[in-house]
Amino acid sequence: MSGGANRKKSNRGQGWEEAGFEFYQESYPSNDVELHDVLQKDPKHLATLLPSKQNRAYATIKMRQSGTSTRTYRRQTSSKSRRESTARRASTNAEVHVSMLPDLSKSIPNEQKAWEQIMQIKELPISMTEKKKMKSDIQNAPNFRLQGYEQFKWKRRKALRRFDQKINEILSKLELWKKDLKKIEGNFGTGVVAFFLFIKWLIFLNIFIFVLIFLFIILPMIIFNPSDPTDCFEDDNSTNCCAVDYFNQSISDNLVVLDFVQGTGWMEHTLFFHGFYSNDIFTYASHAFTNYYSLPLAYVSVIVVILLVSLVAIVRSAAKGFKHRIIEGEGQFYQYCNLIFAGWDFCIHNEKAAIMKKKVIYNEVKGCLEAEKLEEEKKNRTKEERTKLIALRIFINVIEIVILIACGAAIFFVFTFSSDKRNETDDEFLSLLYGFLPSITIVFLNVAVPLIFKFLVVYEHYSPNFVINILLIRCVFLRLASLIIFYASMYTIVSCEPEDGECSNKQCGTPMCWETFVGQHIYKLALTDFATHILLTFVVNFPRSLIDKKSKSRIANFIGEQMFDLPKHVLDIIYTQTLCWLGCFYAPMLPAMFVVIFIFMFYIKKFACLVNSKPSNVIHRASRSNSMFMIILLVSFVVAMLPVAYTIGEIRPSQSCGPFRNLNTIWSFVTKAFINTPQWIQHFLDFLISAFFAIPAFIILLLCLYYYTAVNSANRHMVRILKDQLVLEGHDKQFLLERLSLFIKQQQEAQKQMRRSEGDRNAASN
Amino acid sequence: MGQGKSQFSEEELQDYEDLTYFSKKEVLYAHQKFKALAPEKVGHNKNAKLPINKMLQYPELAVNPFGERICKVFSSSRDGDCTFEDFLDMMSVFSEAAPKSVKAEHAFRIFDFDGDDMLGTSDLKQVIERLLGSNKLTEREMQHLIQNILEEADLDDDGSLSFAEFEHIIDKSSDFANAFRIRL
Repeated sequence: MSGGANRKKSNRGQGWEEAGFEFYQESYPSNDVELHDVLQKDPKHLATLLPSKQNRAYATIKMRQSGTSTRTYRRQTSSKSRRESTARRASTNAEVHVSMLPDLSKSIPNEQKAWEQIMQIKELPISMTEKKKMKSDIQNAPNFRLQGYEQFKWKRRKALRRFDQKINEILSKLELWKKDLKKIEGNFGTGVVAFFLFIKWLIFLNIFIFVLIFLFIILPMIIFNPSDPTDCFEDDNSTNCCAVDYFNQSISDNLVVLDFVQGTGWMEHTLFFHGFYSNDIFTYASHAFTNYYSLPLAYVSVIVVILLVSLVAIVRSAAKGFKHRIIEGEGQFYQYCNLIFAGWDFCIHNEKAAIMKKKVIYNEVKGCLEAEKLEEEKKNRTKEERTKLIALRIFINVIEIVILIACGAAIFFVFTFSSDKRNETDDEFLSLLYGFLPSITIVFLNVAVPLIFKFLVVYEHYSPNFVINILLIRCVFLRLASLIIFYASMYTIVSCEPEDGECSNKQCGTPMCWETFVGQHIYKLALTDFATHILLTFVVNFPRSLIDKKSKSRIANFIGEQMFDLPKHVLDIIYTQTLCWLGCFYAPMLPAMFVVIFIFMFYIKKFACLVNSKPSNVIHRASRSNSMFMIILLVSFVVAMLPVAYTIGEIRPSQSCGPFRNLNTIWSFVTKAFINTPQWIQHFLDFLISAFFAIPAFIILLLCLYYYTAVNSANRHMVRILKDQLVLEGHDKQFLLERLSLFIKQQQEAQKQMRRSEGDRNAASN
Repeated sequence: MGQGKSQFSEEELQDYEDLTYFSKKEVLYAHQKFKALAPEKVGHNKNAKLPINKMLQYPELAVNPFGERICKVFSSSRDGDCTFEDFLDMMSVFSEAAPKSVKAEHAFRIFDFDGDDMLGTSDLKQVIERLLGSNKLTEREMQHLIQNILEEADLDDDGSLSFAEFEHIIDKSSDFANAFRIRL
């Protein structure tokens, strides 16, 4: 709105009618014919001629009509401003002006400019024939001759681009499950696809975790292959003897399969579990040097690195979503626009899904309109109703807390019960059953209790969006609580310090190698969880969906109808990932198993989504669900990290196995290693944690934080002011346009009258 | 793919690659898809013009409430009949690589039913009606909805959305780029 508009404004005070029609012509000389056309139809349409009202397509087409030879070089001026979308108006304006300038094509574009121009053609909303012409115009421009170094650069550019594309092509081939994703997207829209992309993301994360573990822990073990401890003298330290005891334990002659699912027997003494790893410092001589590789140190550092990497990955993803959230949050007002203009998933290609989608959008629109009414109602609620509702909500929350506590107690009880019984019984299958009892209880509660929550939440009368969130939070709470209880019951067994001369505390029932014991439990939990998914999806839900499809009766529909309940499936996946983080310390091979499980999960969930369920009647927005996934994942990560950190920092490692056998805590190994490092590193680290460094650093960080919040609030203020100004400008413009069109109308009338009177005069003179 | 290759010269492919967001392979793949709509016609002439009802057989366009509008916007003859080049343009805009601004521009043209370069109330009404299909809003609800949209987005209060205003909304909508996409 530069140029003409400003001038208009400055003239305003003098009553610009005086400036008259000439002024208008002066401002928009090239639009003369068009202006006339528009005016013929309706002077009110004048507004469409304003530069700000034109999109680029329109401007481009017009440009091509007005100046035939300037068309390509016009973009030079606008190319820089293209990036910032706010500058669009200015650029359109610049285009208009450039079109009035003499032909610019004579100026020699250097090869870089020409290249940029060609690359920009594809952004123009014009047809391919025109694009082709533009490209050839640039390349065949009379002055576009590339010589020597320029030509070399041009060729290099082309080659680079080709190389780029080759890489992209190879990468796109690597893209997993492209077809599956397209199919899901076609039926369920982008929100659900975001979930499957999330699974994919987790798979890559776990692959990375496993590669780290494999390279630094497992591979050295395989290469150096330390021998099991065999010699134990009476006067030797007890650690060695304990290890001998542990490794020489008679391996039960259970069925291979039974051992496999429980992680006991032969499987206990494999690279799968913590206990098998050696506490040796491997040495190997190369030339004159002897190199050391300390497995315990590697073990601790790899675990720490894994946790850090996971944290960074989550936070980065969450931050991306969070940014969107904030932008959206500021424009809370855009919910209707978002719904209408970005509501349709253009990727949908299935008739039924399309009908469903229309219905969903309809519901959402209705919901939004009704939410307004609900807000009103909320305000109008009487005191009595309000107290009643609050009392009800408190009551239901109390019930839910009681349920949670009951769940915790049940898990604790089952755990102690089963470990007691298991020690007593000799029967293989009974012991298998007792072994799995805690895991089965946990998984069962995870499936059953959310149903109760769902049933109860109806009575609380929350708004629909809030219902989804609160259900999700409660379910997350349930799952994490059950894990914590599980952990606590482990802790009672594990934390007993062995007495002198003993390898493990027999009274507490601490196993010889408690790290492996914990690992086994997590392994079992993961297996049970996985089995439940398979069972639920293929044995329970699949027949249900068949019933629903085959029969039209209402009961059958009630039993069989299933929506794809996104939050529930997200929870499943995140729970699995939590187990992975928990387990990777106690069973280093676990991430590899989880990669496999996740790959299967992708197909299980795909089946659950495409075959078993119908599209949900709630809109899942890709952007919103993505940030939701990440936030829940972050919470679970913290919950998973705490026990691992506690294990490393506080609990005494078992004496008979693992890389840390003769230590008091695992972390003490790191401190020991630290003391052996060169002096300057120690000094440096000491300096880092000393008050000299920490306090100034802290203050500087605080200042930075303060500075950014200040900038932020200033910007926000500026945005508000600018917005107000925009509205004001809009009003001005409308006012001016009205006056202008009125004036033009008068002018036309006057002209007509003049012509008529002229005609009359002519007639009279004749 | 061998068949497809023979229909295009290396130069043409290079042009297409430079002028769209596709690689050569994807261009050929797009041509296969285009050919599938009318194998004989396209087999004869790789750049044959397909009438709009043929174009609307493309699965994503068939169920899209704006399918016919999309064809019209991308058709070089403006009547909805598309050549392969028009189709390629269309897919290029809908591809993942196309930036938001390009998508916004085309979306604006698609939603602008009467072609006056403004999204007025009548345009909005049509957009909403098409979006909801057989589910009808009452007249009052419709008015209310349009009112709400304009309240949100119409910064200069002139009762319709200009491109600049539309782009502003799109810029803030994190879903748009995701939704306005067709995988080839």
